[in-house]
Amino acid sequence: MFSWLEKNPFFFAVGVFLVIAFAGLVEILPNFAQASRPVVGTKPYTVLELAGRHVYIKDSCNACHSQLIRPFKAETDRYGSYSLSGEYAYDRPFLWGSKRTGPDLMRVGNYRTTDWHANHMWEPAKTVAGSIMPAYKHMYTNVADIDTAWAEAETVRKVFNVPYNTEIPLQDGTTAVVELKDLAAEKTKALEEAAVIAKDMKRKDIEAIVSEGKIPEIVALIAYLNSLK
Amino acid sequence: MNKIVIFGIVFTLALLGVVFGIVGGKDVDMSGDMVNFYSAVAAVLIVSITVFVVIKYVNQMQNDTASGELAEHNWDGIGEYKNELPTGWAIMFIILIGWYIYYGLVKYPFNAYSQIGEYNEEVAEYNKKFADTFANIKNDPAKFLAMGKSVFNVNCAPCHGNTGDGLATAGEETLKAANLTHRLDAITVKNVIENGSNQLGYEAMGGMPAGMAAGDDVHTLAVYIAGGMSGEKPAAYAACASCHGEDGMGMEGVAPSIKTFDANMVAYVLSHGKKGAIGKMPSFAGILNDTQLEAAAAYVQSLSGAK
Ligand code: HEC
Ligand code: HEC
Ligand code: HEC
Repeated sequence: MFSWLEKNPFFFAVGVFLVIAFAGLVEILPNFAQASRPVVGTKPYTVLELAGRHVYIKDSCNACHSQLIRPFKAETDRYGSYSLSGEYAYDRPFLWGSKRTGPDLMRVGNYRTTDWHANHMWEPAKTVAGSIMPAYKHMYTNVADIDTAWAEAETVRKVFNVPYNTEIPLQDGTTAVVELKDLAAEKTKALEEAAVIAKDMKRKDIEAIVSEGKIPEIVALIAYLNSLK
Repeated sequence: MNKIVIFGIVFTLALLGVVFGIVGGKDVDMSGDMVNFYSAVAAVLIVSITVFVVIKYVNQMQNDTASGELAEHNWDGIGEYKNELPTGWAIMFIILIGWYIYYGLVKYPFNAYSQIGEYNEEVAEYNKKFADTFANIKNDPAKFLAMGKSVFNVNCAPCHGNTGDGLATAGEETLKAANLTHRLDAITVKNVIENGSNQLGYEAMGGMPAGMAAGDDVHTLAVYIAGGMSGEKPAAYAACASCHGEDGMGMEGVAPSIKTFDANMVAYVLSHGKKGAIGKMPSFAGILNDTQLEAAAAYVQSLSGAK
């Protein structure tokens, strides 16, 4: 059989094609399954949240924190329900992380709040006794880059068809829309959201920076952390 | 016996001798711990097998000549020996193909292992164990408090501090969460009087209206209530008594106790969260189960010495 194939290049090619096509199908077909679509209720990030995500990446939070809850009782007790692949649909790149020096942050928005982050990021050890997490005081003065965040949102909307300005079904049967307008409008919107967070942070210095029309990195980061649910 | 085999034996013995020379003097207990014995046997085996496999191939390289039956095809005079698969290997190969067809098409798809299934079993088993073990925990107050304390340490301490004091660094303005070692912090009282509040589940009268006192009274009341309502009662408290009671112990369904942590109020805060002058507390519904929530509430009540 094999020596016959070796002498008939056409059929050999057909054989090779079949084998590779099968292997390809096995990898491609599962992507069409419902389980690999975005999970119902997964929303794209707003511009302010994206800016916070950039801060998260820039300061390498993912070196110490994972964003992937495994299906074990001990983990779901601490962090909430286990992660599903469809929940990462709008994460580019995903931030699963590979080492947990600190706890998982996949659903930190459920059990930590704006004012807690404001205290914790400033001086982790003063909030959680014995914490070895570094302090991030520079984030309280550095200004977040909203332009880049907006550009990223606009890019993924155009290139990957991320559903901005579209009705997204939610778990309770209703729908929500994450708007993405032009840069100027988004900047105004981000500032409004930032003002709310700054107020909840209970820090006058942050409120002052926001009222000058600038958004400190910490505000964007907290918007992002609060969106992790 | 061929020279190279003799060399192999001598080399093996020499290696073992060297190892014994190094380890032997070290007073290693061969009989006490079987692991040492097994390691020694493994070492001997590995050394001898290595040496003799090497010998086999060195021999083969020196002495082997081409032999066997040529296959009928040849290309430009270059031929190929017929090299049949070893029978045992070939049988195994065919059996495995059959096994894969069974496993890949029948066994796996129809009797699939699921990580989530395993997780669900783990949770069901745990919940049953929890229910069995702690069915009567409320009859044993010490154990119930111990459970509350451990829940508190894991879930509440990051905000309220290990002792429940709210982690203030300098004065009430720096509280990171409510100080649970007493009922109320003065900034909370001030905030509630000035802005009202409707989030503890007392909807009967539309929560607590804003502006129940004004001017200096706010401060006086805050000090009085945060101080545990001991000492002389300020006259302005009359405005509060209609709902919170003369003694501050609250009224069922109307207003919470502002003197002690009443169970309803704490339970409501735990399952709904709360946002106030100090900050925002997240809800713990769905994170803790009912028994844990009640235990945490009991522990919170115990922190301020209330019953
Ligand atoms: C050197 C490793 C390290 C880095 C880098 C780090 N963390 Fe942490 N983080 C920790 C540790 C350890 C803890 C647990 C102690 C504590 O809560 O402070 C923690 C806790 C946290 C928590 C509380 C989570 C919980 O469930 O209690 C949050 C939120 C957090 N980190 C956010 C961040 C963010 C955002 C960044 C990036 C700006 C970051 N961390 C960078 C080590 C790190
Ligand atoms: C109309 C009835 C009513 C009156 C009068 C009233 N309260 Fe209240 N109070 C409530 C209710 C209801 C709540 C629960 C608020 C909520 O749901 O958030 C409450 C909550 C509070 C709390 C917050 C408790 C907590 O755990 O956060 C304080 C402090 C308080 N009252 C103080 C006062 C003082 C001081 C006065 C008098 C100046 C007063 N109240 C008058 C109904 C009343
Ligand atoms: C993310 C931080 C955080 C966590 C975690 C947290 N709390 Fe709180 N808690 C707060 C804050 C902030 C307040 C004060 C809210 C306010 O300003 O009135 C508070 C208030 C309270 C109050 C007082 C409510 C009142 O009106 O007097 C109780 C009781 C309480 N928490 C219990 C708990 C228990 C029990 C847990 C653990 C199961 C817990 N908290 C976990 C932040 C937290």
